Amino acid sequence: MSLLAYDFMQRALMAALLTGLTAPAIGTYLVQKRLALLGDGIGHIALTGVALGLLTGQAPLLTAVIVAVAGATVIEVLRLRGRASGDVALALFFYGGIAAGVLLTGLAGGSAATLTSYLFGALTTVSDADLLLVFVLAALVLTVSLGLAPQLFAVCQDEEHARVSGMPVAAYSVLISVLAAVTVTLAMRTVGLLLVSALMVVPVAAAQQLTRAFRATLALAMALGVLAAVSGVWVSFSVNAAPGPTIVLLALAGFVVASPLGGWLRSRRGVTMPTDDLHDLHDGKN
Amino acid sequence: MLSDAPTLHVHDLTVPLGGRSVVRHVALDVRPGEFVTVLGGNGSGKSTLVRAATGLLPHTTGEVRLFGTPVADFRDWHRIGYVPQRPSAASGVPATVREIVTAGRLSRRRLLRPLRHADKAAVQAALTSVDLADRAGESVAELSGGQQQRVLIARALATEPDLLVLDEPTAGVDLEHQQLLARVLAAHAARGVAIVLVAHELGPLARLVDRVVVLRDGRVAFDGTPDAEAAAFAHSHDQHHPLDPNSSGARAGVLGPGWQAGERR
Repeated sequence: MSLLAYDFMQRALMAALLTGLTAPAIGTYLVQKRLALLGDGIGHIALTGVALGLLTGQAPLLTAVIVAVAGATVIEVLRLRGRASGDVALALFFYGGIAAGVLLTGLAGGSAATLTSYLFGALTTVSDADLLLVFVLAALVLTVSLGLAPQLFAVCQDEEHARVSGMPVAAYSVLISVLAAVTVTLAMRTVGLLLVSALMVVPVAAAQQLTRAFRATLALAMALGVLAAVSGVWVSFSVNAAPGPTIVLLALAGFVVASPLGGWLRSRRGVTMPTDDLHDLHDGKN
Repeated sequence: MLSDAPTLHVHDLTVPLGGRSVVRHVALDVRPGEFVTVLGGNGSGKSTLVRAATGLLPHTTGEVRLFGTPVADFRDWHRIGYVPQRPSAASGVPATVREIVTAGRLSRRRLLRPLRHADKAAVQAALTSVDLADRAGESVAELSGGQQQRVLIARALATEPDLLVLDEPTAGVDLEHQQLLARVLAAHAARGVAIVLVAHELGPLARLVDRVVVLRDGRVAFDGTPDAEAAAFAHSHDQHHPLDPNSSGARAGVLGPGWQAGERR
C-alpha cells in the first residue's frame, strides 16, 4: 500500500513538509525573544479571520492571513510602546479573537465540524489552491527569516544594543510578529490553530537541549519540525488518527528524547558549572 | 565644524523616566581620546544619562550631539560601541560567544551580505582582547556572570568604534580581567577613542580616567580631574573611595554627606 498514490496524500505531505520547515524557523526567534506563546495567541486571533472568510464567502485562508497579520502588528506595537501591561492586554486579544471566531462561524451557518477543521487541522481537505498559497507564504517566511538572520538574531538577543547599532528595531520586531502570523495561518490546515504554536516552539525547545549555537538551534529545530510533521502525517494515516495532534505529540516525543540526551552531553563537556572565574561568583552581586 | 566637534556633546539635557525627570539640565562634552567616568549612587541618573546620550531614551530639554550631529539625525552608528547594563548576555535560545560578538559588526554590514574578512578579523581581535578567544564556540549561557560581561564588552569592541559607552561593564568581572580590560581601554583611548564609563566603582580602571563626572539627583554635582575629585572627597569621612583601586565596596552614595560640589569649570 503506497500512501503516495493518493493525490490528497501528496498534498497533505507537501503541506506538512512546508509547515514543519517554516514554523520552527520563525519560532526560534519567538523563543529567543521569550515570546513563545505569541504564536498561540495569534492562532486565536486568526480564528476570527477564518470566520470572516466563511461569513463573507472569501477564502478563509486569505482572510485569516489578513486578520492575523493585523492582530500581530497591533500586539507588537502595544508591546514596543510599553502599553501592553504584561500579559493582560494580550489576553484580551486572544480571547476576543476566539470568541468572535466562534460567534461569527455560527452566524455564517458553520457547524462545530467546520470549526474543528480549523482548530485542529484538516490535512486531507487541502486543495491545490490551498497548497499553492501555503507554498507562497512558506517561501516568503523562510526567505525573510533565513535571509535576515543576522539582523533578527541581534534584535531578539539584545534590543538595546541593536538600537545603538542603528537597526530599525521596531520594524524588525513587527516583521517577526507578522511572519509569525503568516506562519500560523499556513499551519492552520496542518496542525490547526490551537496546536500551531506547538510546532513553532516544541522543535526549538528540543533542539536547544542539544546545541550551543543559534544557527545550529535554528537548523536542528527546522529538521525536527520537518521530521515530526512528515512522520506525523504518515503515522496518522497508518493508524487512522488525526494528523495535527499526532504531529505535535511526535514533536513532544523529540523533546522528551532530547532533554536527557542534552543533559548527558553537557555533563560530558563539564559545563554544569563555570569552573574558572570562581571569584566572579563573589563579586557577582554588584 | 565637524572636525573640531566633540565626540559627544550633551547640553542642558533633561530626561524623563516614569513621569519624573531623572536627569536634569546636564551638560557633558567628551573629546576624542578622552576617558570620562560618570559616577553616582543608585538612582543618581548616570545610566539614564548615557542611555539618552546614545538615543535610547528621549529627552525633554537640551540636546545630544554625536560627532557633531543631533542624535535624532545620527546615522554613523558604527562609530559607537555600547555595552548595556545587563545581568546576562544570554537569551531564550542558545548562542555562542562568537555569535554574540559578531552582532557588534551589524552596524558595519550591509543587508544580505556574508561576513567579510574584516568582520571576522575584528571579531577575533575583540575576543582575544577580552581573553575569550578559546571559548568562542561555547554557549554564552554556560559562562559565568563575569565572562558574560566580557562577551558584551567584546561585542562593543568588535564594532571598532570611535566612542565607547560602557554602562557598568565590570560588574562581576574578576580583578585579573578588570586589569586586562584596563589595558584594552587604555590602548583604545591612546588611539583616540573617546570613552564614557558608568560605574559604581572603578578598581583598576581608575588610573585611566581623565575626568570624573559625579551625578547626584540627576544633576552634575562634580566635573573635574580625578585628583580634584579625590581632594574634594577627602573632606568626607569613612567612605570607600570609588576611585581607589583597592576599594571593594562603595555601595552608598559616591560623595559623603554634607560634601559640597566644587565646580571646576
